[in-house]
Amino acid sequence: MSIEDPYELLSKWFEAKEYLVVGKSVTRSDSIEKAIGKARFLEDYYEPGRMLFVKQLLSTEPHAIIESIDYSDALKLTNIVGVFTAKNIPGINNVGYALPDQPLLAEGKVRYHGEPIALIASWDIDDAFKALEMIRVKYKRLTPIYDPLEAMERKDILIHDEQGSNIAFTTKVRKGDIERGFSESSTIVKNTYKTHHQEHAYLETEAALAIPDIQGRINIISCAQYPHLAQRIVSKVLGIPASNIRIITPYIGGAFGGKDDEGPLVAAKAALVAYLTGKPAFLIYSREESIRIHPKREATIIEYTSGVDDNGYLKAIKVKIIHDTGAYTNRGPYILWRATMHSSGPYYVPNAWVDGYCVYTNKVPQGSFRGFGNPSIQFAVESQMDELAKKLGIDPIELRLKNLLRPGMDTITGQKLDHSVGVADLVDKLARKMEWSKVRRELEDWNKRSNRYKRGLGIGVAWHGISTSRGVPDWSNAYIKIERDGSVNVYTGIVEIGQGTPTTSYRQIVAEALGAPLEYINVVFGTTDAPDTGATHASRGTSIGAIGVLVAAAKIRERLNRLASDILKTNPENIVIRNGRVFDKISNREIRWEELIQEAYNRGVEVSATGYFYLPKGKFDDKIGQGFAYPAYSFVAVAVLVEIDTWTGKVRVLKAWPGLAAGKIINPTQVEGQIEGAIAQGIGYVLYEKLEFGSKGEILNADLTDYVIPTIQDVTLDVEKPVYVEDKYKYGPFGAKGVGEMAFIPLPAAIANAVSHALNKRVTTLPLTPENVLKLIGGL
Amino acid sequence: MKVRFILNNREVEVDVDPREILLDTLRYRFGLKSVKRGCERGECGTCTVLINDKPVYSCMVLTVQVEGQRITTVEGLVNDDLFKKIIVSFAEKGAIQCGFCTPGFILTAYALYRIKDKPSIEDILKALEGNLCRCTGYKKIVDALTSIRS
Ligand code: FES
Ligand code: FES
Repeated sequence: MSIEDPYELLSKWFEAKEYLVVGKSVTRSDSIEKAIGKARFLEDYYEPGRMLFVKQLLSTEPHAIIESIDYSDALKLTNIVGVFTAKNIPGINNVGYALPDQPLLAEGKVRYHGEPIALIASWDIDDAFKALEMIRVKYKRLTPIYDPLEAMERKDILIHDEQGSNIAFTTKVRKGDIERGFSESSTIVKNTYKTHHQEHAYLETEAALAIPDIQGRINIISCAQYPHLAQRIVSKVLGIPASNIRIITPYIGGAFGGKDDEGPLVAAKAALVAYLTGKPAFLIYSREESIRIHPKREATIIEYTSGVDDNGYLKAIKVKIIHDTGAYTNRGPYILWRATMHSSGPYYVPNAWVDGYCVYTNKVPQGSFRGFGNPSIQFAVESQMDELAKKLGIDPIELRLKNLLRPGMDTITGQKLDHSVGVADLVDKLARKMEWSKVRRELEDWNKRSNRYKRGLGIGVAWHGISTSRGVPDWSNAYIKIERDGSVNVYTGIVEIGQGTPTTSYRQIVAEALGAPLEYINVVFGTTDAPDTGATHASRGTSIGAIGVLVAAAKIRERLNRLASDILKTNPENIVIRNGRVFDKISNREIRWEELIQEAYNRGVEVSATGYFYLPKGKFDDKIGQGFAYPAYSFVAVAVLVEIDTWTGKVRVLKAWPGLAAGKIINPTQVEGQIEGAIAQGIGYVLYEKLEFGSKGEILNADLTDYVIPTIQDVTLDVEKPVYVEDKYKYGPFGAKGVGEMAFIPLPAAIANAVSHALNKRVTTLPLTPENVLKLIGGL
Repeated sequence: MKVRFILNNREVEVDVDPREILLDTLRYRFGLKSVKRGCERGECGTCTVLINDKPVYSCMVLTVQVEGQRITTVEGLVNDDLFKKIIVSFAEKGAIQCGFCTPGFILTAYALYRIKDKPSIEDILKALEGNLCRCTGYKKIVDALTSIRS
């Protein structure tokens, strides 16, 4: 028998000393198709007139009882096939992910301005718009609440009556004894931090096309980041078995978490129309609808107290985290959990007391966005670290190096980190490479000479747990089959949202493990035809998603080694398969890959396999917030240099120095792409992007003119090559951990610290728009 | 209304509603899927096409306005040497992630390089400031373009 045990296979490949394609900047397989317009995105499947066009009716009230919906006039238009509301849902309308509080289509009540109420199905686009104008909704207004602090106090106005409170969910961590910790502290810093929403602004808005087929199944071309979740949600809404629902995913024009929340709901709405009418149904969000409807990055209020002793060691933290979750919790509890678990930053803290509150308001819901609750808390943590360093009179890097987690230490949830903890090395290496102290000193001199412009250097260091929080089950899987001609198909549920996982790292991993030429590997991504792979979120596409890919490929490789050893009359250990050459390293006898596969078919050796792997996790006790939080952490540090025009309040990031301790780097160019993209998105978040809410809680800037995302002129192009510490994680594929979200997480902290350094004033509130910066300076 | 124009070097004629935007005409009537819909308000640049060799947002143009004009999309440039040089450089430098913005960037860059074979960084930034990208952070796009300056 060949080895089939996933642990054995993973550890065998973990030990690899040299690599053929892993670790190389292999070019993506989708680049040219995308450049010449051949790559298919969602709308490319829509054919006007031959499919129903679906338009959504959205609430124009923030908090109201729906008394009636009258669409009788709309139905008189020739091209209108139907108008559908919650009443028409054959299955279950409730689609809440974390708590059962969210309807697909508003039922009885609306809770935010922009909430979907009805779906109009029309053969013609113009008629769909006409129908929209003809539907009359009668509302009975209720008092709205927009401020989370007020919502926490009010019992007389409940956004969800059934909850009995506007506090939807709470979290906590209790470690050690904070009173003792603070009494041992000689320096204590206390601040309240505020962060704002962020709109994803992926350039492709949400869409789905649902096509009923002859076997009574529904095929959905979807933009969801987790096809199997979309399948589950559709199954629930329609009340039909999941096996009757097939999800496929084309290329997706950016997602960043937003299509993890909204994607399954878009699929369910299109599927509902297709199911009720028997016709293919296409739903696309306009830019305005996209901004009004889908959940946003968390807006937070964080009260943070930290204490250090004379030697600069952290002794205690006390933290209160409030998340404005908007009208629905969506993934709010998970986001709050992540913020809570990470609330110490990547530091050793012996005593911690943390409380988290996820609070309803009548605004757009909070949701998943690159970093998932972590950028806001790291902003607080890292601002505290700089303030502590300042009070102690020591360099911010020095204070961090004293306190950073090292292998063998435990986190604030009491989880011992036994390996893959490269953060201290990382910070040390980055600070040396960029000559941190020298640059800081030079800037301080520069500032003495410069009146109008001030410059500052700041760093953000952060950690990010891989996989789901608190020991919640997570797994990986994939299905691989080698065709008779030697070409290889890999089936995965992981989607291609621009990150390049299926189009680079999966091909590399399979080519490495099988020894087949890279160009023979084809990855079929984003489909429920693959086994449930989990979502493309939480930086898990390569870190977790690829475990299954590696295990499946490694299983087949073991079988091929045996087969080749039979053919070449040697031991399996002597077999080398690389880039399509199969040879015995002793005798140098050789056959070609194609011949080997042909022989496998002839001799009855199976060349297909699944790669199921259930991630080993520990227990977590919710009551005290102690226990196993994550299987491993990725670590990141980014330093930025900023320049502030003190007359206008405008901040520019002039340069960034990123560093990552994310285990084995599978494809450096793709990793750089994630880092550079995250830095630009972080610059946008901190300096330019801000949702404006009107008196009805409506988003006033639901377009890309007034919601400003950075152009090529607004970012820094001076991003240094990343510093890597390859602190490999034993269950990661070749030791890889997650990358996608990382560089975003410390960015708000890094920029805020740099601005604080330049102005010698503590930034506690984001964004750093010119107006807010002038206020900070005292000029407004 | 009948409109005649040159599309990717071919003379074409369509009968359109006077309110129809060029973006819809190109996507729905000619199946040119490289022309992307990102905002429909002239904010993002994903719908960029060349009209008489100049980059224009096709969502801001009515089809009836292009009577007699020359329209180019990436589909019409696949055999063009300069275009090939640009796309290969984009691919090799990792300037393409989700790719939704890519055809728009490439057309804008192509238009620039047609008139200047050694554009300065400022020229490049100026030319591309009307094209948004949410994935790459723009650095690799600029790298791809500076590396082909001859
Ligand atoms: S779709 Fe035309 S500029 Fe955005
Ligand atoms: S690559 Fe995704 S928007 Fe540019």
